[in-house]
Amino acid sequence: MDQKYKKDVLILAIKAGKIMMKSGAEIYRVEDTISRICKACGIDYVNVFATPTGIFVSIDSDGSDDTVTYIKRIKSNETDLSRISKVNQFSREFTTTDMTVEEGMKLLDEIEGRRKYPFWMRVLAAAVVTSCFSVIFGGGAIDFGVAFVTGMLCYTLSRFLEKYEINFFIRGFICTALAAFCALLAAASVEGAMYAPVITGCIMLFVPGVAITNSIRDFLSGDMLSGLARMTEAALIGISLAAGAGVVIKFWTMMGGITL
Amino acid sequence: MMILLPQFLLALFATLGFAVIFRVPVNKIPICVVVGACGWIAYLVSDYFLDSPVVGCFLGACLVGLLSIIAAYIFKDAATVFIIPGILCLVPGAKIFYTMEAFLKNDLSQMGTIGLQTLLMAGAIAMGLLVIGAITRVVRSLIKKTVTLKDKF
Repeated sequence: MDQKYKKDVLILAIKAGKIMMKSGAEIYRVEDTISRICKACGIDYVNVFATPTGIFVSIDSDGSDDTVTYIKRIKSNETDLSRISKVNQFSREFTTTDMTVEEGMKLLDEIEGRRKYPFWMRVLAAAVVTSCFSVIFGGGAIDFGVAFVTGMLCYTLSRFLEKYEINFFIRGFICTALAAFCALLAAASVEGAMYAPVITGCIMLFVPGVAITNSIRDFLSGDMLSGLARMTEAALIGISLAAGAGVVIKFWTMMGGITL
Repeated sequence: MMILLPQFLLALFATLGFAVIFRVPVNKIPICVVVGACGWIAYLVSDYFLDSPVVGCFLGACLVGLLSIIAAYIFKDAATVFIIPGILCLVPGAKIFYTMEAFLKNDLSQMGTIGLQTLLMAGAIAMGLLVIGAITRVVRSLIKKTVTLKDKF
């Protein structure tokens, strides 16, 4: 087995792992996918260590002198469940059929390049989420409307900030601050509008559900490091959401807008 | 029962929104949505009968986890695809807000009470997923063992 082939396999495997990790998969799944792909190509020594911020893979096969090691740093991530699902299918296909490495690479490029839902659709979805939650948490018809518009604005702002790689803590803070501002403005100007359900609805949009779920699943499979990292992420996001809304409400009360 | 229907629909649409934001594959969206709404109803019902949102969150998370794993098994997909949009309805976003509001009012005892409840609810969601995950692991290994035993004889 020549060095070139080993390297190609490694790059393919790590690409699959990178896509999964970026899209919000659990550690166990990423490590499993990488080692399966390598094993399917006839490499018998594979060791993977993955964390939410980086993947380390080392491979070797009988009779060769050199171990190939690859470190992939993972920066921004954006939850995309269809990619996880696709890569999952891909690894199943790759290991059971005799697909070549080049074909596999092409398929992965396709998976990485696809955009599932257009931007306007996701903005609309965010609006639906915030407005539904505002009604669940005790809002009326007016709050539904206010939350709909606020949700759109917040999601758009969040995507905008993400483009400029603002970190998640500040992003959550700014977005809920905007939500609180819009909600208070609506409550002040429209008769019968409440601010609490609207803000709550917007908080639900940014709530760290992915981080909580993944941290538990990581703990369950024994990846304590990633479990802790994601748990901390969840706690920080929660605090930033509360702080963003809190600061705006505090200012508003200080200026005599509402009394708590 | 009639009170639950609008709640079910609201949770349905909310989960639909999350499913689109998190880009769940189109053919899996209907299942996702039903899983999320069932979890929310389980939370509401157990909150009503047991008068404890923490236990409600636990049972809701258990149901979401169980349904997701069944769906993952049937549709041959990763369980995460169903769990992530489903669990989001249960995350105590409202409690985060009320904790912060109590803090602004300088009502620290109230803040402590609600804040602790928030943490416990998040912990209960974690516990629910953990319990279901552990059980499926045991069941899966049992199935594997029986299959290998059958092969031997």
